[in-house]
Amino acid sequence: MATNGPIDTLAPGHESDNTITRDGFKITTRKLPILKAGPIEEMTTKLGITPPEMIFGDNLASISHPSSGWSITFNAFDALDRVDKTGAAMLKVSYSKEWQQNRQKQFEDIKEVVKPFDWSYSTDYKGTTLDCPAFEPSNKPIPLELLRRPDPILFFDDVILYEDELADNGIAMLSVKIRVMPARLLLLSRFFMRLDGVLFRIRDTRVFVEFATGEVIREYTAREEKYETVRKSLAGMREDVLALMRDPNRLAENLSIVGKSLERLVLK
Amino acid sequence: MSIGGSDLDKAIQQLRACRPIPEAQVREVCYKARELLIEEGNVVGVDAPVTICGDIHGQFHDLMELFRVGGDVPDTNYLFMGDFVDRGFYSLESFLLLLCLKVRYPDRITLIRGNHESRQITTVYGFYDECLRKYGSANVWRYCCEVFDYLALGALVTGAATALEPTDSPYAANTTTASVADIDQDIEVETLNADGEVLGRFARASSESNSQSQQNSSALPPAPDNVGAAGTGASGSSNGSRRNDTGAVLCVHGGLSPLIDTIDKIRLLDRKQEVPHEGAMCDLLWSDPDEIDGWGLSPRGAGFLFGADIVKVFNHRNDLSLIARAHQLVMEGFKEMFDSTIVTVWSAPNYCYRCGNVAAILELGEDGSNAGYARSNGDGSAAGFIGAGALGTSGFGGNAYSQAFGSNTLGANGNRRLSGVLGEQHRLREGPGRRYRVFEAAPQDSRGMPAKKPVAEYFL
Repeated sequence: MATNGPIDTLAPGHESDNTITRDGFKITTRKLPILKAGPIEEMTTKLGITPPEMIFGDNLASISHPSSGWSITFNAFDALDRVDKTGAAMLKVSYSKEWQQNRQKQFEDIKEVVKPFDWSYSTDYKGTTLDCPAFEPSNKPIPLELLRRPDPILFFDDVILYEDELADNGIAMLSVKIRVMPARLLLLSRFFMRLDGVLFRIRDTRVFVEFATGEVIREYTAREEKYETVRKSLAGMREDVLALMRDPNRLAENLSIVGKSLERLVLK
Repeated sequence: MSIGGSDLDKAIQQLRACRPIPEAQVREVCYKARELLIEEGNVVGVDAPVTICGDIHGQFHDLMELFRVGGDVPDTNYLFMGDFVDRGFYSLESFLLLLCLKVRYPDRITLIRGNHESRQITTVYGFYDECLRKYGSANVWRYCCEVFDYLALGALVTGAATALEPTDSPYAANTTTASVADIDQDIEVETLNADGEVLGRFARASSESNSQSQQNSSALPPAPDNVGAAGTGASGSSNGSRRNDTGAVLCVHGGLSPLIDTIDKIRLLDRKQEVPHEGAMCDLLWSDPDEIDGWGLSPRGAGFLFGADIVKVFNHRNDLSLIARAHQLVMEGFKEMFDSTIVTVWSAPNYCYRCGNVAAILELGEDGSNAGYARSNGDGSAAGFIGAGALGTSGFGGNAYSQAFGSNTLGANGNRRLSGVLGEQHRLREGPGRRYRVFEAAPQDSRGMPAKKPVAEYFL
């Protein structure tokens, strides 16, 4: 039974952490089911916004360097705490205008938008770190050529932090991938959002660690494009456009870069 | 050429094995189903006993598990509240099996429409792609969409018993005595695991014992009748007696609509069309309850949210004791809100094969008799599936009840506000006895399920 039991249904408290230690760096991932009603309520109160429908509040991915005390962790709460809670950055679904016009004639008393916030859960989260030692702005990019080499992967995981179906108007998803090779590691935290008929967003945070030198590079790239523009640029392809629109790896090149930052620190 | 009894039984056998049936047969079944569904009103009348199920989303193997836990058709009378398709890998097999069962046993299974039973949604969320992949053309998808247009918008369950006859089965290993009410009490809610073992049992809070029961973690949140004396005048002091004055239960996929104040207004809609982007039909399939006063607009710019006062006034006006709806994922499989006047039932365990949630079905017993619960528990082979497993200690013991049932946030304030709305002479019906069977995802087999371990990739 144990070999083919239901996946991912461990209750919190069970040993569910995957870890690997390499040259003084400890890498940890934790994957648990979505939160229960109680913890969701607690999170709602603390955040001040309704969490996404699929909220993996117990999941995390972290890189720590015990000898220097440095660490970087990716978790759902801290990511959601950076979502706009005022409604200033609020998007509207594609048929909103039509819907509102018809509604307002009939129900002039129902005008109040309940608890406005950025329900697309767009976040510019770059991970949770301590301030010391701190990242500093840098011009040195992540050495992609080293990452393209087929070095053996000693540890790999893909951890989802949250996902929302935007009430069947698209998808919003934040997940973290990490791969550890003998000499270095790469972590990618990706927020992907498609609001059907309106907008695409991809916000990537990459963390690169070179074990031998203790060098850590963090790169943040925000991409955005109108839905129609992306659809048109994909229309010429022979592939299934719907499938492409679910695949951020393929979409990224079709989205314009709207924000970028590069930081670095060296751990002793 | 018409699909007769034995052909249909063969199709059902084939679909139960998760094998698609030939296109010609799909066309035939869909035609038969339309003929049946066109005779149904927008709101189908259903007699208790009935087992109410929420979203399935193409999780075929979990649908099989649901039938194992809840009993097979036609032994059990089922009501599915929509969202049969999309997201999962086997929308086609799941929907066609339910449809064949509907054609074969029309009085033992009721299907109502979810927001995913729509052309537009299925082209984006998987069902269309699946049909194309499995048949090489969109014909089957088109046949199914024509059936979608004929599905009822809601169901009205009558004759549900107020009191539950406690299940005669052992407690689950991790059930604590604190979560199990004395069986001599008037049992309102019982939760069982997939093997029929008792996880929790909760007595109805009577008006007299209300102040005590609120402090007792094993008791229910205040029953609706505590806003005044109970229902029909005969039941004001009915502590311990078996009452049968429950109102009807409205089942709908999403929720209420500001355009609908009576169930008769649902009956007047022209439903035989694609789900529109606005209007009452759209609201019934899309709206959500929320902790607000009155009606609210969703921050998304389309869609309604409705609060406790809306539900209570609607239930009172329509002589309902409960609204059962689906549409929203809940980790515990079910979630009661607003003093148990509305419940969300979710029947897709481990949703999208990654959420790790449990699923639930809701059984309503028959008024005056408990024949509907004469069922055997555990068929040997199934024993030990849950074992000491995933419900774990954090599942349904102790205060998990209050979690699963929502936090009863209205409290005294909510009731005061409500009594203002309803006036002193108006009272709410007592809720029906509710038995929730909670189950996990079927064991993952090798057929196209995502691997437990993610495959290492050289991402950049």
